[in-house]
Amino acid sequence: MSGFYVLDVPEFASVVTAAKAIERCLVHAPKRGYIFVQFDGEVEIRRVATGLGEAVWFGCLTGGLDGKIVTFDAERIKLAPTNEPAILR
Amino acid sequence: MSTNEKLAKLPSLSLNGVDHTARPTWKLRETVEFYRDKLGLPLVHAITAKGWGRAKEQHADFIHFFFDAGKGSTIAFFYYIGTTQPPELVVSRGYMAMGNHTAWRVETKEELLAWQARLEAAGVQVSQSIKHEILESIYFRDPNFYPLEITRPLRAVERIDGVDAELTIAAALELADAGGWSNIEQLWRLKAKQVAAYQRGEEVAL
Repeated sequence: MSGFYVLDVPEFASVVTAAKAIERCLVHAPKRGYIFVQFDGEVEIRRVATGLGEAVWFGCLTGGLDGKIVTFDAERIKLAPTNEPAILR
Repeated sequence: MSTNEKLAKLPSLSLNGVDHTARPTWKLRETVEFYRDKLGLPLVHAITAKGWGRAKEQHADFIHFFFDAGKGSTIAFFYYIGTTQPPELVVSRGYMAMGNHTAWRVETKEELLAWQARLEAAGVQVSQSIKHEILESIYFRDPNFYPLEITRPLRAVERIDGVDAELTIAAALELADAGGWSNIEQLWRLKAKQVAAYQRGEEVAL
């Protein structure tokens, strides 16, 4: 199940709000301080939709990512499912 | 007995904030004028000494002086008389050396902006205020090129912040130990597995 975790704190709340407006995203209920944003296929989140400054934007996947970064710049994050391991040996 | 086992038998301790931080300076006048006059931090203590009489190391005579940084903390300097700055103590340009910095706390946005205005009035180059996760900060440098920050809390740090920090560091340590760690995506992927386990109520390395 691909997705990313958002820490349930005020500074990241707008990421969850932006994800709710994306058809391919399913926002799960908060659990133990984290909100899982599930995505199906490639998904794009635009910074303008979050209203975040760059300092927080570039850390907005800090909760963890079950997926792959296709693009991550100041304007957009594109994520996709992956089977690649976190630790490449 | 392991070190951790030995430590577990000792009483837990806590610290009571910063007493002082200190660094060397080879710009005595500029440093005094910056901290005392431009920032307006009271000069609260100075000691002068005849070296430290060490046989193996020729320790220069020196002045050690302290400026009040609030709530009992000071920022202090050593001026080693008659010495020149060793090249390795010149503060490097670039972001990496900025990792070594002092951040002072104010409580409100108004105070932060007032400090920004004061610095600008004093002719100090200062950044715009930047909101990070839990802090909003302005950045500038002293005459020694030491990086300084004034920051205000945007919210209190909660228990979940500590849990998240432990999960992050646990993933980071695993990657650092594994070797070949080159980017944050690797950490985010590994952390996702640990967050999932944490959400399921499984034992995780906290």
